[in-house]
Amino acid sequence: MKRLVVLQDTTAWRSLEDREQACGSGEVAPLDAIDESVSRRSFLKLMGASVAMSSLAGCHRPAEHIYPYGRAPEEVVPGRPQRYASAMAFAGTAFGVVVESHEGRPTKIEGNPLHPDSRGGTSAFGQAAVLELYDPDRSRTPLERGEPRSWDAAVAALRAMAEKLGDGKGLAILGEAHRSPALAAQLAALKQRHPAVRIVRHEPISTVNAQEGARLATGRRLSPVYALDQARVILALDADLLHGEGSAVKHARGHADGRRDPRGEMNRLYAIESAFTVTGAAADHRLRARSGRIYALALAIARSAGRPLGVELPEPGPLEPEERRFCEAVARDLVRAGRQALVVAGEGQPAPVHAVAQLLNLALGAGGTTVSWVPAFSDDPEGPEALGALTRAMQAGEISCAILLGGNPAYSAASAEFATALARVPLSFQVSGWVDETSQVASWHLPRAHWLESWGDVRAEDGTWSVVQPLIAPLHGGRTDAEVLEALLGGTRSAYTIVSDTWRATLGTQFTAALFRRVLHDGLLAGSAFAPEVVAAAAPSLPKPAAQAGLELSFRADAHTYDGRFANNAWLQELPDPMTKLTWGNAALVAPATAVRLGLADGDVVELKLGSGVVRAPVLRMPGQAEDSIALTIGQGRSRIGSVGDGIGYDVMRLRLLGAGFADGATLSRTGDTQRLAMTQEHHRMEGRPLVREATAKQFEEEPDFAKEPDREHPPLFNLWADQPQEGHRWGMIIDLQTCIGCNACMVACQAENNIPVVGRDGVLRSREMHWIRVDRYFTGSESDPQAVMQPISCQQCEQAPCEQVCPVGATTHSPEGLNDMAYNRCVGTRYCANNCPYKVRRYNFYNYNREVPELRRMQHNPDVTVRTRGVMEKCTYCVQRINGAKILAHQAGHDRITDGTVISACQQTCPTQAISFGDLNDPKSAIARHTEDSRRYVLLEELNVRPRSSFLARVRNPNPELA
Amino acid sequence: MSAPAVSPTPGPEPEAPEGPEAQVARAELILGKPSFHDISHVVSDIVERKAPRAWILLFGLAASVLLILVGSLTDLVGVGIGEWGVNHPVGWAWDITGFVFWIGIGHAGTLISAILFLFRQKWRTSINRAAEAMTLFAVAAALIYPAFHVGRVWFAYWLFPIPNQMNVWPNFRSPLLWDVFAVSTYGTVSLLFWYVGLVPDLATLRDRATTRVRQIVFGILALGWRSSHRHWVHYERGYLIFAGISTPLVISVHTIVSFDFATSVIPGWHTTILPPYFVAGAVFSGFAMVVTLMVICRKAFGLEHVITSRHLENMNKVILATGTIVGYAYAVEFFMAWYSGSPYEFFTFINRAFGPYAWAYWTMISCNVIAPQFFWWKRFRVSLPAMFAISIVVNIGMWFERFVIIVTSLHRDFLPSSWGYFRPRLVDITTFLGTFGLFFTLFLLFVRFLPMVAVSEVKGVLPEADPHHAETDHG
Repeated sequence: MKRLVVLQDTTAWRSLEDREQACGSGEVAPLDAIDESVSRRSFLKLMGASVAMSSLAGCHRPAEHIYPYGRAPEEVVPGRPQRYASAMAFAGTAFGVVVESHEGRPTKIEGNPLHPDSRGGTSAFGQAAVLELYDPDRSRTPLERGEPRSWDAAVAALRAMAEKLGDGKGLAILGEAHRSPALAAQLAALKQRHPAVRIVRHEPISTVNAQEGARLATGRRLSPVYALDQARVILALDADLLHGEGSAVKHARGHADGRRDPRGEMNRLYAIESAFTVTGAAADHRLRARSGRIYALALAIARSAGRPLGVELPEPGPLEPEERRFCEAVARDLVRAGRQALVVAGEGQPAPVHAVAQLLNLALGAGGTTVSWVPAFSDDPEGPEALGALTRAMQAGEISCAILLGGNPAYSAASAEFATALARVPLSFQVSGWVDETSQVASWHLPRAHWLESWGDVRAEDGTWSVVQPLIAPLHGGRTDAEVLEALLGGTRSAYTIVSDTWRATLGTQFTAALFRRVLHDGLLAGSAFAPEVVAAAAPSLPKPAAQAGLELSFRADAHTYDGRFANNAWLQELPDPMTKLTWGNAALVAPATAVRLGLADGDVVELKLGSGVVRAPVLRMPGQAEDSIALTIGQGRSRIGSVGDGIGYDVMRLRLLGAGFADGATLSRTGDTQRLAMTQEHHRMEGRPLVREATAKQFEEEPDFAKEPDREHPPLFNLWADQPQEGHRWGMIIDLQTCIGCNACMVACQAENNIPVVGRDGVLRSREMHWIRVDRYFTGSESDPQAVMQPISCQQCEQAPCEQVCPVGATTHSPEGLNDMAYNRCVGTRYCANNCPYKVRRYNFYNYNREVPELRRMQHNPDVTVRTRGVMEKCTYCVQRINGAKILAHQAGHDRITDGTVISACQQTCPTQAISFGDLNDPKSAIARHTEDSRRYVLLEELNVRPRSSFLARVRNPNPELA
Repeated sequence: MSAPAVSPTPGPEPEAPEGPEAQVARAELILGKPSFHDISHVVSDIVERKAPRAWILLFGLAASVLLILVGSLTDLVGVGIGEWGVNHPVGWAWDITGFVFWIGIGHAGTLISAILFLFRQKWRTSINRAAEAMTLFAVAAALIYPAFHVGRVWFAYWLFPIPNQMNVWPNFRSPLLWDVFAVSTYGTVSLLFWYVGLVPDLATLRDRATTRVRQIVFGILALGWRSSHRHWVHYERGYLIFAGISTPLVISVHTIVSFDFATSVIPGWHTTILPPYFVAGAVFSGFAMVVTLMVICRKAFGLEHVITSRHLENMNKVILATGTIVGYAYAVEFFMAWYSGSPYEFFTFINRAFGPYAWAYWTMISCNVIAPQFFWWKRFRVSLPAMFAISIVVNIGMWFERFVIIVTSLHRDFLPSSWGYFRPRLVDITTFLGTFGLFFTLFLLFVRFLPMVAVSEVKGVLPEADPHHAETDHG
């Protein structure tokens, strides 16, 4: 091997090592090759090659290093997981995380309770990020025009380019809207050496509109930071602030904290939006409006608020009576809340809407309580204009070398023809974790290290500074953006040194080894949030609201892939969209009335045209969607990402002008084709059944026991079997529907914790999804203006479980602590238990879903949970492995009982709103025991007398009496 | 009931009224006044002569369909239950539908051989052998499903209470386990009953055998039967005891099969009407199947004078009666769904009739309730084409009845969020088709190698066997 290494820099010779890297660990690439070759000739070739390779493999195996601990690291106990703090940079902020690692393999991500943007919870994206690490499709080697190269060759090419740079005039760096000070320092060093370099930031879903709005409103480019927990009245203007945008985890928690106890003061949430979002479902009042109409409505509210904004606002134009009533009521409510009011504009709304929202916040005195403004992270140009200018420069041949740090502009900036522009750049380096659409055009592709396997740092939205700490060495030898820039600059520092140097330089004398250790331990630097800026309203001249015409298209991040980055993540692709319940793809959401007018049915494939863009997409009728507005999600329809995401859904990037949240004047025509939509829920009404129980605050005040009311008479409940023992631990779960927003984070958390397989689009179409916990979403009210309610359902752990009675082999039995246990190795798979489950929570392995799972992906599996084979039933266990783990620890510590809070189920742990409580019902001091006393508590399908251990707290809405 | 034998309770028929009306009512069971030898010959000859070309063709067809079953099950076991269309709300579909369908068909055999025997319905003798054989083969076809519908077939033996070192036993609270006992008891008793009834006829075949192989094989199977008086006494007594044992089984098997559903909590399943309703349905479908088969057999093997129009008409009356009971059960179910006051129960029935599976429900109603009503008219009861068509329609309807009960109850139960829809996949269809292959292969082997009519019993109902026959004119 050493002899070969000497030769590897010469391009004429591909070393065995290179060749090996090119085909990965030898697990995946040959399989791909088989897929492609179908002819007899190529089959024979492949056979011949495999014979040759198998003999070659005998003398040269992939380099694997398995070192025993020479000296065991402190506190490492085999079989007991380690936890490390880190941070995930995402959606214009950072989410502090604590990553669980089993024998060196990160397996599970939890929120860091200390981090302001997590507070112990995570989003579904955060939960699913660990699967990305083990994605077998991740890029494994640098490529030069598709040919594998060694890193040394790539670095040499970078250096050769750097030497010819001069002042950097021909060099462009297109990065993501990163928030890493270490990377910023590298870019600054580059700029110092080559002052003419063009640095542009680009995100398909960006916060740039909010910053531009702040510039309009205050004269300075600032980022607003919201504190929803301080707010009494919140107005979301086309903003999915609880789920789809920005610091959603923090916002969801703040919103929940403001209404957790309906006996106390509850906040009130208004949403004005075109698509029905999670925020709209959580809202007490929701007004449907085209996205393009939001500006006029915001102006109307601002003018009705009657507070001196210090600026003359344009006329909103004529309002419908319903709109006027709504806007006036909201305005009065905002004024009443004063400093505790908050107005938030969505990321897809243009800068003037943000400006109005921020002026309103200023006028209401909300600055400093519910909203504060911090400096924008970077001064580098960002947004559609900057990217457009760069693209034009590339087209014009002004750029001789482009370095793309992350992102996938060939896909996300398709409407700007970025790919053709990039193809004109003589030399380009793309740093990316996957060989994607942009890699096809760039001359060099460099594998990027995943954040779970590399050093870095990141500042959250409010400035809280965290270190990104690796859990494992880069699996495929990828490097970070900062390391690539280091190579460009001719340095040799490792990512760790780059980070620690940045911290040392920034903190000066404050920086000590002890402090850095503290930061690594806590996951953040305490007190590192930016000091809020003192702002005053400027005097912007805002445009008049434009008239609305024709069909509107609105664009938002896909619930599965965000902006496309998670397209190869099977957990997320199979995670239903919280509102549509659609998996494995996206659809054009059309209001039922519009669908009737246009003659559309679910699954009809339509052709949407806007400008020069044409897209074919299936239609899904969505109650609550604004009429004549079609909601689309970006981030699907990837053509080159990997075996999971290729060709899933449809790509709307061509319809979307850079950065635009919506556009008018689209045309729609039916193609006559239809497509089946893979949805996890096909019926959307409760059919009058008392499943999700809710009341208004007023009703609740008058009748606190409303949820307990029996909905109908039933005969006295008679128990056929002996009662279960009630001594010892008595585990139970209570889900608070008041705070649950239906974000689905629990579903992914459960999937990651319990090794739950995915079944693919085909499996979902056949109703075979495996999620142990699901979130049921029901529409109430009229079809055109519905409300939505959410209800997470997992195994209810019935004391008199119907499933236990019918299993012929006794594979599902009751534990003394009240768990409805599954003995997988006893299960023969009659499916009788699932049939007899009134909650339909049992999940059957129709196929051997784990057989085709690549070896690499198996590294994510939780070693504490059995991987199930085909023909076996499975379901929620209340995370029995965590219960037993805690018992062992308690036993070792000499306690006979587990104290409350030591066992936290995976769904409970990740819940951003802390809607789930779990614990020992026999422990009178436990949090759950307190909830059992709550008058809102009810049991689902109580008259069946199956006596579930799981129960719910009914939802209380807080409508504005003026609008009631 | 061969020549010297008398019926176990000799004497005049207790219910037989005296007088001319009775004589009018007494039709002859076997037409053409055959002698005992004629009966032996006409039945045994089928087994002894060269296989007709039609039989070979049919057997080839049935065996090919059986191969489809083998292929389907190989795929099912090799790949997984996912090869069927079952899904998360609908965990059972064509599998348990097929199981109940075949078990139901089996009922006619036991009913004819046991209950009608105890009630002294002598007309049963011409058809009981074939009906019993049909029972066995239907049970065999039915057993394919419980065996192969489990996800891990290789552990299906865990359903039996086999003592083991881990002291792990099946769950005796589970109706599925009761099924195991009920069906295995039923299968065993039916097999023994059938075999005991066969012994005298096997001896006849042995005695008529012309080749060494036949002599040896039938010699062994005939268990040394010499037709001695002592043999007949034991035989009659044994046969009576078996009839006594089998009779409760006719009721119990389908009752216990219905417990699979009745003891569950699922609306549409959780009803006390299911046991009688299932038994009636089983007899209904079983008689329909017997009619289908007998119409073919009597024609194919020239047994019109043994299996007469009267036999068929009697069976059609049973079909009419049980079909009407079934129709009544459908109506009562609806009434109870409303009367119970349970919105879930009521919804399930509304959904059956007007939901996504309404087509299946109305197919069931048309086939099971409307079609047999034609048998109120004698013209249809004795018309071979009409009864053949109706008997097939009834079995289609009874398959749909089980499908409706199983699938429409499961597909929309308590929580609308989990509602779904079942669509069969190719292997569902081929498996079900294949069970017909199994059934007909076995049945064709039976008619080829064993006497399909109980020779000795038929002789027993000939006028010559009746000591009083000279006293009345059967002319």
